[in-house]
Amino acid sequence: MEYYLGITQTIGVHTLLGLSAYVLLLTGQLSLAQVGFFAIGSYVSGILTVIFGWHILPALLVGALVAGFFAFLVGFPALRVKGLMLVVATIAFSEIVRLVFFNVNWRVEVNGLEVGPDSTQGFREIRYFAANGWEQAHVVLLIWLIVILVMVLLWWLDKVRAGAVLRAVGEDELAAQSSGVNLTMVKVAAMTGGGVIAGIAGGLFAHSTTYVDHHTFSILLATFAVSYPILGGLKNVLGTLMAVIFIQGFIIEGLRFMGDYRNILFGLLIIVAMNFRPQGLVDGNFTSDLRKLLRMNQKRGGIDA
Amino acid sequence: MSHSTLKNLSLAATMALAFASTSALAETTINIAGWGAKSGPLRSFGVNSEAVMKAAVARVNETGGIKLKDGSKAKLAFKYHDSACNAEQAIAVARKVASESNALVGIGPTCSGAAAAMFGVFQKKVGDAGDTGLQFPILTDTAVRNGLAKISQWTFRNTPNEPDMYDKLWAWVAANHPNLKTIYGGTETDQGHSNGTYSKVIVQAATRHGFKWSKGNIEGLSGKLASGFKNVLASSSNWLQADTNFSVQARAFRRSGADIYIISSHPFTTCGMLKELKRQRATPKLLIGLTSSSSQEVMKGCAAEAEGMIIPTSFAPITDMAKEVAALANKNGGDADLHSAAAWENVMIIKQVMESVGVTGQASMVQKERRMIRDGLEALTTTNGLIGKVTRVQDEGEALKPYVFVQAKAGNWVVIHDPR
Repeated sequence: MEYYLGITQTIGVHTLLGLSAYVLLLTGQLSLAQVGFFAIGSYVSGILTVIFGWHILPALLVGALVAGFFAFLVGFPALRVKGLMLVVATIAFSEIVRLVFFNVNWRVEVNGLEVGPDSTQGFREIRYFAANGWEQAHVVLLIWLIVILVMVLLWWLDKVRAGAVLRAVGEDELAAQSSGVNLTMVKVAAMTGGGVIAGIAGGLFAHSTTYVDHHTFSILLATFAVSYPILGGLKNVLGTLMAVIFIQGFIIEGLRFMGDYRNILFGLLIIVAMNFRPQGLVDGNFTSDLRKLLRMNQKRGGIDA
Repeated sequence: MSHSTLKNLSLAATMALAFASTSALAETTINIAGWGAKSGPLRSFGVNSEAVMKAAVARVNETGGIKLKDGSKAKLAFKYHDSACNAEQAIAVARKVASESNALVGIGPTCSGAAAAMFGVFQKKVGDAGDTGLQFPILTDTAVRNGLAKISQWTFRNTPNEPDMYDKLWAWVAANHPNLKTIYGGTETDQGHSNGTYSKVIVQAATRHGFKWSKGNIEGLSGKLASGFKNVLASSSNWLQADTNFSVQARAFRRSGADIYIISSHPFTTCGMLKELKRQRATPKLLIGLTSSSSQEVMKGCAAEAEGMIIPTSFAPITDMAKEVAALANKNGGDADLHSAAAWENVMIIKQVMESVGVTGQASMVQKERRMIRDGLEALTTTNGLIGKVTRVQDEGEALKPYVFVQAKAGNWVVIHDPR
C-alpha cells in the first residue's frame, strides 16, 4: 500500500506543478520559470522546518509566499517579451535560482546533527513527516487537500469574470487590451499565482522526498511542468491531472520494467497524443461528455431494473 | 491414437504436473531486490551492478543456496529495478520493494543524490515508534558520497572510504616521486561526488603530504579534511557534467605548469578533458583521477589519453575471486569495477547474515526477518571482500575497504601499488 500512496503523493505534487504552469498558459505565457519557483518553495519551507523547527503548514505557506514574491518580480520584466523569448528569459531565471541554491551553504547544528543546505552536496534530512509521526496516508491527505483546493479555485476562476479575462489575454492580447483589460496586471497576477502554486508544490516535494539539490530543479522538470497542461489540455483543470497520471503513473511507474525504452516511448506517446488530441487529453466537451455518459448509464440502469 | 493411450498420456501429464507443483511448493525461495540507474546517462552503472548481482545470486544457488533456520536450504532470487538516477524513482522503488514484495533486503541505488533522498524516507533510529519511516534494510553498492549511511540506521553501505584512500595515495606519490612538488586540478562542479571528493578530500590530502598548489597558496587550505574547500574550487579550473568543450580548462591546466594534474570527474567528462589536454599538448608528469573513473568506461573511451593516470580503487582483478567475478560480469553483459563489484560482496554478506540470524523464508515473518537482517548487518565487524578483508565502521553503517592503486597502461588498469 505504501507504494501506491507514494505514487499518489508524486502525482499530487506534479499536478500542482503543472497547475502553476496552467495558470500562465491561460494568459498565453509559456514559462519555464515554474521550476525556479518550485525550487524556492522547496528550500524555503525545508529550511523553516529543518533549521527553525517550524510546523509544516506555516512553512509551506511562507515558501509559497516567497516563491510568489519572486514570481511577482519576474512578472514585470517578463511582460516585455513573448513566445520563445519568454521561454529563454524564464529558463535564465530558473538557472539563476538553481545556481544560487547550488552555492548555498548554511549548515546548522540541530539536536547534535549538522543540517541545512550544503551546496553541491544538497539539502538532506528534510524529514518533517516521518520524524513527526505522519503516516503515508496523512501526507497523501495533506497533498491532495491542497491539490483539490487549488483545482477548485482554478475551476471557480474559470467560471467568473477573472477567468474570462485570463483567457481573453491568452486568446488575443490586443483585443483584450482594446476591451480595457489591464495586460500588466493580468499577466503579473498570473505569474504570481503560478509562483505561489509552484512554491507550495516545491515545499511538498522537498518534504516528501526528504532531499533536494540543484539537479532536482533541472530544465527537464521545467519541461515536465509545461508539458502537463499542454498535454492535458487548457480547457479544463482536470486535463493537467490526467496528463500527470499518464506521465508519472503510466509512463514512469507503469513502464519501469522497460528501462531506457520508456524514455523513447515517452516521446513517442506525447507525439501520438498531440496528434490525436491536439486540444489536449481533456477538451472543452469533457465535462458535458462525462455528464451524458453518466445520464446514459443511469437510464440503462433504470431499464435493467 | 487409441482411447487408452490418450488416457495414459493425460494421466502421466497430470502426475508430472502434480509432481512439479509439489516440488515447487517444497522449494523455499528467499527474495532480495536490487535497484539503480538502468536508464539515463548513468545507465552503465545499473547494468554493471545487475550483471554482477546476477552472477552472485547464481553462485549462491550453485553452492546450495541459503541455509534456513530449520537447516533446510532455500534458493535465492532477485529482481533488479530501474530507478534511473532520480530521487522520486529511487523512493518509489524502495517503497514498492518494501511494501509489495517479500524481499528481505535491498541493494542500491546508483546515484548519491538518489540515495540521500531514499535513505531519508527510512526510519532514522531503529525502534523509534514516533518515526514512521520505512523499515527495510539496504546495503548499498554504488552511491559513494561521504557519510550517506548515517542518514538512517536501516541503511548500510559497502562503498570505498575515499579520505583514507587519497591520504595513502598522496603519501605513496610523495615517497615514490620525490621530484614532483606542485599540483593543479579541476572537477565537474555540478556532480556532488566529484566536487565533494575533489574540494574536500583530494586537494587537502595532497597538501597534507607536502604538495603545493602551483598558482600559490590557497587561503584556508590546511590539509585538514574540507579546509578551504570553497577557495579550492575557486582556484581550480572546473567544468560541468554535461560539458563537451574543455579548451578553456585545459589551457588553464597547461598554463599552471604543475607537476601533477588532478582530474576529479566521472568517466564521461574525464575522457573529454583528457582528450583536450592531449590536443593542447599539456603534459603533466603525473595524472591523478577520481575513484569512479577507474572503470572500463575510461578504457573504452580514451585509453590512449588516460595513459599513466593513477587512481585508488577498491576493485581490481588481482585475486582469483576478483578475476572470476570480472569474467562473470562480462558474461552477463556488464563490467566489474569498484562500484559494481561491491554487488557481489553484498550478496555474499547478505547470505552470511541471513544464515547467521536464521531466516525462515516464511511470508508471515518477512518484517521480523528484515529487522533481524538489519541487526545482523549492524553487528558485522569484518566481511570478506573480493580483494581482502573489509572492516565495518560500526554505528555508521559504512565500510573500510581494502584498495590498490591502479595506473592506465596500454588500455588496461594495472595495479602499481598494493597496500593491502
